[in-house]
Amino acid sequence: MRAWLHGLRLRVVALFRGHRRDQELQDEIAFHLAMREAQLRDSGTADAARHARRRFGSAARIREEMRDEWAVLPSLVSLLQDCRYAVRGLRRSGAFTTVVVLTLALGIGANTAVFSIVNAVLLRPLGFAEGERLLLLHEGVPAAGIDRVAFAYGDLAHLRRDARSFDAIGSFRNRSVELSGGASDPERIQIAQVSADLFPMLGVRPGLGRPFRPDEDSPGHDVALLGWELWQRRYAGDPAVIGRAILLDRRPYTVIGVMPADLQFPRRGPQFNSQPGDVWVPLPLRNAQVEYASGFDVSVIARLKPGVTLPQARAELDLLAAQVQAQYPPALRNRSRARLLLFASPLHDEIVGAVGTPILLLLGAIALVLLIACANIANLLLSRAAARQHEIGLRVALGATRLRLLQLQLSEPLLLAAAGGLLGVFVARLALRAVPTAVAEQIPGLHGVDIDLRVLAFTAGLSIATAVTVGLIPFATRERRRVSDVLQEGTIRTTGRRRHRVQSTLVVTTVALSFVLLVGAGLFLRSFSALVNSDRGFRPAGVLTAAVVLPWEAYPTADRVYWFQDSLVRRLEALPRVRRAALSSDLPLEGTTVGIFTIEAGVDGAAPPSRHTSVLGSYFETLGIGVTRGRTFTPEEMAGERQVAIVNDKMAQRYLAGQDPIGKRLKWGTRDSRSPWLTIVGVVEDAADGRQAVATLGDERPVHIYEPLRQTPVRAINTRGSLAGRDLRLSVLTEGDASALARSVQQELAGLDGQLALARVATMEARVDEMIAPQRFSTQVIAIFAAGALLLVSIGLYGLLGFVVSERTQEIGVRLALGAEPHLVRRLMVKHGLRLVGVGIAIGFIVALGATRWLTSLLYETQRYDPLTFIAVPIVLAAVAIIACLIPAHRASRVDPLVALRGD
Amino acid sequence: MGTELKSADLLQGTLELLILRTLTSGEKHGYEIAEWIHAASAAALSVEEGALYPALHRLELRGLLVAAWDVSANNRRAKYYRLSPEGRKRLRQTTDAWRRTSTAINRVLEAV
Repeated sequence: MRAWLHGLRLRVVALFRGHRRDQELQDEIAFHLAMREAQLRDSGTADAARHARRRFGSAARIREEMRDEWAVLPSLVSLLQDCRYAVRGLRRSGAFTTVVVLTLALGIGANTAVFSIVNAVLLRPLGFAEGERLLLLHEGVPAAGIDRVAFAYGDLAHLRRDARSFDAIGSFRNRSVELSGGASDPERIQIAQVSADLFPMLGVRPGLGRPFRPDEDSPGHDVALLGWELWQRRYAGDPAVIGRAILLDRRPYTVIGVMPADLQFPRRGPQFNSQPGDVWVPLPLRNAQVEYASGFDVSVIARLKPGVTLPQARAELDLLAAQVQAQYPPALRNRSRARLLLFASPLHDEIVGAVGTPILLLLGAIALVLLIACANIANLLLSRAAARQHEIGLRVALGATRLRLLQLQLSEPLLLAAAGGLLGVFVARLALRAVPTAVAEQIPGLHGVDIDLRVLAFTAGLSIATAVTVGLIPFATRERRRVSDVLQEGTIRTTGRRRHRVQSTLVVTTVALSFVLLVGAGLFLRSFSALVNSDRGFRPAGVLTAAVVLPWEAYPTADRVYWFQDSLVRRLEALPRVRRAALSSDLPLEGTTVGIFTIEAGVDGAAPPSRHTSVLGSYFETLGIGVTRGRTFTPEEMAGERQVAIVNDKMAQRYLAGQDPIGKRLKWGTRDSRSPWLTIVGVVEDAADGRQAVATLGDERPVHIYEPLRQTPVRAINTRGSLAGRDLRLSVLTEGDASALARSVQQELAGLDGQLALARVATMEARVDEMIAPQRFSTQVIAIFAAGALLLVSIGLYGLLGFVVSERTQEIGVRLALGAEPHLVRRLMVKHGLRLVGVGIAIGFIVALGATRWLTSLLYETQRYDPLTFIAVPIVLAAVAIIACLIPAHRASRVDPLVALRGD
Repeated sequence: MGTELKSADLLQGTLELLILRTLTSGEKHGYEIAEWIHAASAAALSVEEGALYPALHRLELRGLLVAAWDVSANNRRAKYYRLSPEGRKRLRQTTDAWRRTSTAINRVLEAV
């Protein structure tokens, strides 16, 4: 042991003076040789120096042996040597190195980034206690066209009382409120009202202060838990905020605690109530007077009892649904055609669901790019290895062992992989930063994703595996060749058929793979351009919009609300450069308000659902929603003097087909509801709404009914805490740039109510952009991938052909010497490349026809067999291939026969 | 190449013993050691003189020899080797082992 340590110390010291060590070895040998030579000369031997050397043996080999003795780890020295050799070689061929390292870096980097996203979004558990047992419940009446809706209050109470499959049930809903009080300006924030048992079920506790008490979710408990981010931002992380009051919609709430920094609740993803809250307050439904079939705005999370399966729970929910509907108001009860259903699905699936497919698609695309990159690198290394065969043959002849050769062969790819991998980490970081916020906001779990260490390990493994595999291919192909063959190649060049076949296969593969990617990118581009240019039924240009929410405490009566509504429209219309202005309960691309309605002349008992928007001012003119029949509301109707409605084309087609809709009457609710009959005065175009965020931009337009804002029942407006008539959107049609008007609009709002929290002001065009941001992002990403693939393919082709040319220089020289025209030589070379490309395209075509199946659900108004894409892609690919082939082909045609024939 | 290695392996133990033995009379550089061994046993270095050097370095690394650069008799820089205390101990042990083995062999031979 001591001797070993002693040796290690000497070795380590030697390692640091490696150069001097070598010199000393050389000196020692030289000294010996000099002494021997002198001795031989003295004894009269002729040619003493040569004899001395012969007696000594191979100085080079002995030096090598000694060097090995000094190795810290015997093989490490030769590895370092090989690496040094590889570095030198790589530095000499800078272009090759750059291409390979960049290819690897891009492949590995993009792969790491995408995998980090997949990991964060799809694979990471929810972070809630026993997350796998949590279900998200919702209601629905599929037969009436309502696929899903959040829970009604009475229905929830029934569920809480009777359901046996769950050991805990929590509920919550989102609200956008005005936060004021204290020194800071008022602001609009998202809050979540939650039942007291929700956070205990999720296993979430405040980091500071106390949780909600079990009875605090009954009316009359105005307490609040702050989110960490808001606490830091608005209250400077001051613990003394606990016990103080904050104003939510101008109503005081006592702060009882601060939630932990990593809590994001509600989580994004589900259809309803999926805006992370800044503040949480109790949802006052316990012990409250609740009705069946009312509200429909509460989300429910339930935890399966241990041992109860999802199908069992679903079976119980089916039974409960019938019981719940039996308690409904008579008009909604027991109608076989419109059965109420209760649905349950794993919370994880609900949160991840919608984004799963696009993200997996991204993963597929990136896997293709990585494959192409690997194939390409393999190809480049093969060419390089072939060029080095002579050298390797020489090494074999000089007695290099197989192991040593393998090591030599692997050192270069390993070095390249290491460099590519390191650079790839940076690429991945950059790529993750490049995810637009608008996209990150819409994808649950994506916010603030960083490189995952396990992903990094995976990628490191991947790059090493790539390197080793790639490094072994040339080794495997050379295996069978005898040393003498290799050495003889110096004079008679044989074209290694086997290697050529491998390389050609690789080129064909990359062409086929990139064809598939290009088709994907083409389809996405077509789909995106269809999305951008789709007729949304409204004109976003020149429209500025903002959200305004009036706090009930400051506007408790209908008179106050009317005063604000009328004054705001008047002020907006009076602004310079404003042509039209309107207030409405929602805007196109929003539209989450749904109600059921009855047509006077319709089938008895039929109460189909419809979107519902209340408007004031010139809503249709401002947003460019065309009138197809009749007219828009008159000022008298806007003032509430007649009970009227405007319907969209869809509604007229579906429910008043073959009739003149004008003059027909409808009412909200069922036939026996207390709502008044509304006379239809006009029909307008179908404007896109945004219930399903993006998909609906192109989806079949929903039935939509508009009425004057003033028709909102006064009773509803006067109900304590009501948002009726208070949750408003303003829109103005401007001359020229809409965004330039943002300041004036805000000033007008402040002029009416200085305390009003500044709402987000955005042009309608920005809202459209935001809505299609995920599509734009995935289109951009896949387009970048495809462009990368195209680049890789051309590099691969260029590399292969370039090598073929240099290998066949002699043959080409002979052809030229025998009088072949240079352009014929050029054509020969291009043909060689294009034959491979042709095969690749043919294979890619077939694969793409099948693979586009996975895209269908993501394409908007684009066929998966889109002819334009399937025609354009081969043309683009072929064009790029020709260019990639032309450069080496040109070089071939300029071979000087004399130089070529003289050979090496 | 393979057969060369084998004979070198066989020789190695002997060669190392010879080196240690040679150095009992004081420090020497490689050439001197080669000459001494040559005189003592022509066979050990019959393959090639160079083989001496890896063996010297191996012994140095194992701490049996201590090496230092110095100026030789003819005024050239040379690397001198001498026995370390461990080297002496090892020489004693191996010599004893050798003696015992050869005694045993002799007895066997005598018994025949």
